Amino acid sequence: MDADADVPMEDVSDERQLQQSYDDAASHHSYQQSYSLKNKELSKSNINQLDDWIEKLGKCEPLSENEVKTLCDMAIEVLQYEQNVQPVSVPVTICGDVHGQFHDLMELFKIGGPCPDTNYLFMGDYVDRGYYSVETVSYLVCMKVRFPNRITILRGNHESRQITQVYGFYDECLRKYGSATVWKLFTDLFDYFPITALVDNKIFCLHGGLSPMIETIDQVRELNRIQEVPHEGPMCDLLWSDPDDRGGWGISPRGAGFTFGQDISEQFNHTNDLSLIARAHQLAMEGYSWWHQEAVVTIFSAPNYCYRCGNQAAIMEVDEQHARQFLQYDPSVRPGEPTVTRKTPDYFL
Amino acid sequence: MRFKLSYEAIILSSQRIMNYSKPIKRIVSNHDLEVWKQSDVFDYVVQFVSDLQESILGLENDAPVTTSKVSESLLKLLDEVEKVIERNPVVHDKDVSRFGKVEFRDFYDEIGRTSEMLLEELVSGLDSDPRIELSAYFNESWGDRTRIDYGSGHELNFITFLLCLRKLGLIVEQDFPCLVLKVFNKYIQVMRSLQKLYWLEPAGSHGVWGLDDYHFLPFLFGASQLATHPFMRPKSIHNEELVEDLHKKYMYFECIYFINSVKVNTGPNKQKLSLRWHSPMLDDISSAKSWMKIKEGMLKMYKAEVLGKLPVMQHFMFGSIIPCPEGIDEHSEANEEDCCHGHAHVNTWGDCCGIKIPSAIAASEMNKKATGAKPLPFD
Repeated sequence: MDADADVPMEDVSDERQLQQSYDDAASHHSYQQSYSLKNKELSKSNINQLDDWIEKLGKCEPLSENEVKTLCDMAIEVLQYEQNVQPVSVPVTICGDVHGQFHDLMELFKIGGPCPDTNYLFMGDYVDRGYYSVETVSYLVCMKVRFPNRITILRGNHESRQITQVYGFYDECLRKYGSATVWKLFTDLFDYFPITALVDNKIFCLHGGLSPMIETIDQVRELNRIQEVPHEGPMCDLLWSDPDDRGGWGISPRGAGFTFGQDISEQFNHTNDLSLIARAHQLAMEGYSWWHQEAVVTIFSAPNYCYRCGNQAAIMEVDEQHARQFLQYDPSVRPGEPTVTRKTPDYFL
Repeated sequence: MRFKLSYEAIILSSQRIMNYSKPIKRIVSNHDLEVWKQSDVFDYVVQFVSDLQESILGLENDAPVTTSKVSESLLKLLDEVEKVIERNPVVHDKDVSRFGKVEFRDFYDEIGRTSEMLLEELVSGLDSDPRIELSAYFNESWGDRTRIDYGSGHELNFITFLLCLRKLGLIVEQDFPCLVLKVFNKYIQVMRSLQKLYWLEPAGSHGVWGLDDYHFLPFLFGASQLATHPFMRPKSIHNEELVEDLHKKYMYFECIYFINSVKVNTGPNKQKLSLRWHSPMLDDISSAKSWMKIKEGMLKMYKAEVLGKLPVMQHFMFGSIIPCPEGIDEHSEANEEDCCHGHAHVNTWGDCCGIKIPSAIAASEMNKKATGAKPLPFD
């Protein structure tokens, strides 16, 4: 009996998660056997390595290109076997967009409690816009590999090759590593991220929202997610859609995904016996905002987004009884100045 | 010299055009973009921006310049835009939109309704009436109605509006210093009001990794103002006192001043933030050897990062004054989008675009219709 079989590293496991593992066992039984063997060989040195990296990243120092390569290989081993609808148990703390705001992510762990003592579920958008996308996504991926049952990291619409080339992550990788290698490694890894999670069969969590082509959660399970985020179709919608005050489906002004009204949310929750859809993807001035008479909640975890929006950030704690509590926080104090030396862009040489 | 000659030729030929048509978006694919980048029209736009930049070399904002009648009309026009802003105050105190303030749409619609009238004085001396083309660029100079955002693509519309006037022969080279120092500066002033009042989102923002949330050209022009300065160094943007003293004199410093005033740490600590945190690109540029290097670099960067980028150029409109290069196909997508967000609709986008899709089948049908080249989504 090795219910911990899908835990590649030393990890704290409670009863509930053991039960979860039993429940999932049917779906990837064969994997668990082979993977556990492999990981028993790897674990000791890997744990030390991961702990070193987590300590380094905790000081906001980026990993080297080779370290990122190793980390991404390890992460693929973990993430490829996660499900499109990754089961998560309570208690868990659910978080929204981070967007490279590394110091605010550290604040988040202060407010919510350190991982792995607190279970975390992140709903995507770790990169782009902020100064520290590389450090942020490296840190979260390290935590994922180190504590796979304690933290779930979903894919956001920014975890994509196309979007990161427009919104900053690509530029940041070039600037910090001098080449696009690290960008390539991470965007290849993003293909493996699960796209939704289901908390105790009651709270459906995803980055964007619903899709007119998805009526049941089982339909999400049938998707082939290991690919670049497509321009259209159900996988695209799950990462791009937004709730709206107008009923029915609407064309999204974003140019991808749809807007969906209260009737759609209520129907989806009813069909799938859900109590709530938790999603991120949109700025909320208080850090969270209710939609559709509490059928949907938006959670946004990047305070003072882009150094400009003046918004608070929030995370949502869900306890064993499914009681919800929002924890709000303000931007953390930035320490002095960045340590990166100035480098004249080629245009200006 | 190649530019100058063909440039004048275009001016002459465009004066003969009598059949003006509503400009439409044409660039949708990387192939289109390549054709555009190799085209004469691309060169004209670059040349115009470069000539404007050159015309204010070493000049401060309040340098004496010749103000022609057309320049005066343009300044009056911008006064009118300011009045439109005043007539459309923000009344919803709660966040109705997840983007900016929805009252921006009222402002935008009023511009759309009245711009042809506002442009009347400007074109009164012409034999023909090009306002259908001028107003298209003018109306899109203030931001996107649906998304309530603004970026360098909208700024490009204002420059294209001026380029149209140039091609119609209404603007001559002697007007250029005034166009930049007075007209364009006034435009930026109007844009600052719009950005602050309606909380315009930065369109296609690279976040901290971009040059600026909203603008490009004030840096491009501003660097030229400083390029011949005897002792000012690029690093002086980090000197708070200098920025404070010089932001009214130089566009580049105005930009730094504005950024510093907007990018602060909110919440209880109200920490003052170093430019290095929120604007690493400007920080990096400040390590250039001279302002002359920055002036030259800005033009190279503008060509590559604005005029050469699909997310920006997919919104660029072509008509008969600024013709679409040969080899770019007509795409139905451009028309569809026009239908959705065109200014002919005065009502909200929900009424023209919020098509109800009752089922998954209908949604997939709609997806089928939209196959082929699709504009890049914005986040």
